[in-house]
Amino acid sequence: MIDMATGRDDDRKGIERELKRGSLELIVLHLLSHGEAYGYEIVTALTDRTNGGLEVTDGTLYPVLYRLERAGFVAVRWETPQRGVPRKYYRLTEAGQAELARLKQEWNTFAEAMAQLLRQQPEKS
Amino acid sequence: MNADDTYIDQVLAPLPLEPSLRTQVEMELRSHIAERVEHGQTVEEALRQLGDPVVLAESYLAAIPLVAAPFWPRAAARLIDAVGVLALVAMPIIAFVALTLWREQGFLIPIAIIVTIFVVSILGALYPVIAEYRYGKTVGKHLMGLRVVRESGARISFGQAVVRQLPMLTQVWWIDMLFALFTDKHQRAFELLSKTRVVVAREEQS
Repeated sequence: MIDMATGRDDDRKGIERELKRGSLELIVLHLLSHGEAYGYEIVTALTDRTNGGLEVTDGTLYPVLYRLERAGFVAVRWETPQRGVPRKYYRLTEAGQAELARLKQEWNTFAEAMAQLLRQQPEKS
Repeated sequence: MNADDTYIDQVLAPLPLEPSLRTQVEMELRSHIAERVEHGQTVEEALRQLGDPVVLAESYLAAIPLVAAPFWPRAAARLIDAVGVLALVAMPIIAFVALTLWREQGFLIPIAIIVTIFVVSILGALYPVIAEYRYGKTVGKHLMGLRVVRESGARISFGQAVVRQLPMLTQVWWIDMLFALFTDKHQRAFELLSKTRVVVAREEQS
């Protein structure tokens, strides 16, 4: 037997996952526009700034950071403490800022179009 | 071995052998695990956040674009390997033939030719299987700047390395090779079958 409630919940999570995947680069670039940060700070900043509305696991975030680094949108710096493991800091490059502006504009255009579409009431025939 | 070492090994296993990429991923993962531990979490919790090591490795691989190797460099690589195997086998055979002529035992020459054909066939089939499985490339591919990967970019398995070379054991290997001229990613028929491809090797920048 299919549990409808769970089914709907899964659908909702599926949509959320797809939306998040498409917008993760925008999210990460935006969070880094506030200043340099290391991985754990980025993960917690996302949860804090959205009051838990958006969350990302380390396993999802780090490959995105790696991709952004390879693309030259993010620069990195290793800080080696006196004891313990070196920490990797990420910051936006100029190319990253330009990419952020581009993605933001794309997102806003899309979001406005969606909002406009969803505001329309079905026409009664 | 600690849980984090085991986990990192599992992530690194499918990655290509380029040391810079592997070192970078390893350093990153150690750093990220340490960050969570410093914030009071256990290593196990940190690993749970990182998720399935195979999925994580695939996500890292997805960030590296793969460029299909063009047909002619591939053909050149194949030729270099064939010449290499022949030369390696030919040297002791030539020595053997010279020895038999010197000893006036010319009847041994046909045997030498049969042995040569046999050894060249065996080596010609075995060498690429082992080299591509162990190192992701043969000497020819190395010289032409190519490497063999799964379609995801991961290292190929032994089974895949075997399937890739199966047509070489038949007389219609050239038909298999011609597929590379017409397929999207310049794949041979048996590369499509084994879900592998040959790509341009680029040393990752660290």
